[in-house]
Amino acid sequence: MDVRQLLMIAIGVIFINNFILSKFLGLCPFIGVSKKTGPAFYMGLAVTFVMTCSSIITWAVYVYLLRPFHMEYLRTISFILVIASFVQLIEMFIQKTSPALYRTFGIYLALITTNCAVFGVTVLNSEMFLSSDLRPLQSLIFCVTQGFCAGLGFTIVLLFMSGIRERLELCDVPSAFRDVPIAFIIASLMSMAFMGFSGFRF
Amino acid sequence: MKQLLQEFFKGVFIENPTFRLVLGLCPTLAVSTSIINGFGMGVAATFVIVGSNVIVSLVRGIVPSKIRIPCFIVIIATFVTIVELVMKAYYPELSKALGMFVPLIVVNCIVMARAEAFASKNSTIRSLFDGLGMGVGFTGALVIISIIREFLGNGTLLGLRVIDGFEPLLLFILAPGALLVIGMLIGTVNMIARHS
Amino acid sequence: MSENNLFTVTPAPHITSKLTTKSIMYLVILSLLPAGIAGIYIFGLVSLKTIIFSIASCVVCEALFLKFTNKDPGISLDGSAILTGLLLAYNLPPQVPFWIPLIGGVVSILIGKQIFGGLGHNIFNPALVGRVFLQISWPVYMTSWKNPRWWPDAISTATPLAKENPVHVSYVDLFLGNHAGCIGEVCIVALLLGALFLLLMKIISLDIPASFILTVAILTWIFGKDGFLKGDFIFHILSGGLILGAFFMATDYVTSPLTRPGKIIFGIGCGLLTVLIRLKGSYPEGVSYSILFMNATVPLIDRYTRTRVFGSKKKTG
Repeated sequence: MDVRQLLMIAIGVIFINNFILSKFLGLCPFIGVSKKTGPAFYMGLAVTFVMTCSSIITWAVYVYLLRPFHMEYLRTISFILVIASFVQLIEMFIQKTSPALYRTFGIYLALITTNCAVFGVTVLNSEMFLSSDLRPLQSLIFCVTQGFCAGLGFTIVLLFMSGIRERLELCDVPSAFRDVPIAFIIASLMSMAFMGFSGFRF
Repeated sequence: MKQLLQEFFKGVFIENPTFRLVLGLCPTLAVSTSIINGFGMGVAATFVIVGSNVIVSLVRGIVPSKIRIPCFIVIIATFVTIVELVMKAYYPELSKALGMFVPLIVVNCIVMARAEAFASKNSTIRSLFDGLGMGVGFTGALVIISIIREFLGNGTLLGLRVIDGFEPLLLFILAPGALLVIGMLIGTVNMIARHS
Repeated sequence: MSENNLFTVTPAPHITSKLTTKSIMYLVILSLLPAGIAGIYIFGLVSLKTIIFSIASCVVCEALFLKFTNKDPGISLDGSAILTGLLLAYNLPPQVPFWIPLIGGVVSILIGKQIFGGLGHNIFNPALVGRVFLQISWPVYMTSWKNPRWWPDAISTATPLAKENPVHVSYVDLFLGNHAGCIGEVCIVALLLGALFLLLMKIISLDIPASFILTVAILTWIFGKDGFLKGDFIFHILSGGLILGAFFMATDYVTSPLTRPGKIIFGIGCGLLTVLIRLKGSYPEGVSYSILFMNATVPLIDRYTRTRVFGSKKKTG
């Protein structure tokens, strides 16, 4: 395993197969939270944090629980329960320790539980890295890298989108297309731009 | 009975989950590259929505409010696992084509939203019809989008070439095309809704 | 107060300028004519056909849309639709079938511009939206080239930037446009003439083109194919759509940053992405994609390079 492999994973999941613009994972919060830059930034932060931690926890569950007992078919149920519980715990922890942080951050956490993006990255991790014969430490590093970078890619696109939508508030978009439809069209154009990254090799 | 039919049609038209409620878009855009895939996903999701709506409604008196979300998730995940395994066994090509979006039905906003907003507060029979309506509405939307994308992007409908000499626009099979189609469709639906 | 002394009342500052949107548009069109004439001369009348279809498609489409939405269709002749059509055509291979510029024009105007609210509201460069749409939809048509008229082979195998079997031409050939490529991008000397005109008329500033081209030059010099610090940066400056893109498309007022630092960031970003795609991606040319990508970042760039409001104190601590 060398740095180049990690770089390829990072570039792959941030640019080439961006979670929102290419895999369509995380579209609900993308459309819902991308109207202003502030909330967009906090949402991106929350998603990245949850994705990274979920990648670690689900890695452990798959490698030490599901695989040894040949219960891989329980992946869906176990992963989603793990993610939901983790998010619930984090929400309670933040609520107790820092009410101020909870006020800015807390609502997004609830939205993340049923977020395709978080569940999606854990499923992607298990498909890409955990079904083959990688050494456990290697697969852990790959999973964490992918989880973190998926969140990073999500955040970047969310920030771009919020900047554009803030600017678009002052524009004369046809009324039937305001809000949601134009957001999708913008996403389509951003997706076209991101296609320039296809085939990247290092 | 009339009320039940109303629940059903509400999910298909006025509160169509895709075009009006804008829910569950992740799988919608990913699998709508061919009509067969779109229809397959719609049917799978309908099974899950109906199943979870019925069970959630049946246990709504027993489940304590504080842990209702994890309970709903377990119920939904069970139905999704059933669908996952059945599809892998009897429709392997479809299962491969839909890929990881079959397990992702568990986080499909439509399922959780209907469980939380409707099934946990209404009778079983009404929840059944609501689930059916939402499922049919979702499947219908998937099929419409798939027809557009398959025809424009591949020149085929249901895998059969329709017009000779038509050069398909590859864009529509790819991600930007999906986003463009859904944006234009929601905008068009908005225009129609305004005029009626 | 006699009727002959009507005073126009406007708020300060009382500066007037002869430049209107329309006049700026037509001056830019004028500056692009040498490149188009070169394209027609080098590749033949088929270039003219593509240019005409593109411009006609853009103008008609805009007029129809304005009519449909109860606005004044006359706006379609304010020059911006013609300019979009011209730039779109310049980004196409000369011999594409007529429906390519036709559909490209419709996409550029409707999706690149009108759906955002018209001129001044779009986020992405409309001509590039059309061009990338066409490229993704019909990759084969958009990457089939024609050699200059006087070459023995009419059908071309590649352009100088192609990743497999590029055609090798001298710097002079690159400068004059003596090779296969898009209609308006090959003749560097014609493009530079137009760019000089725009610079002298103060319609564009050097910030974006200079930072764009310099970034490409430095990065290709450092990381070019021939080895560390030995890259052929002259080749990279003169080939592909860099000159056309840097001077005429990245500088579009609506889709580029407002402030000077912002413009420089924009130019560097475009250059960086162009080099990455050219050297590491699978597409031979990255100018269109890099400009579109950077267009998406412009609202954020503007937000964070805002000039201080005159008279306000800088936040300390």
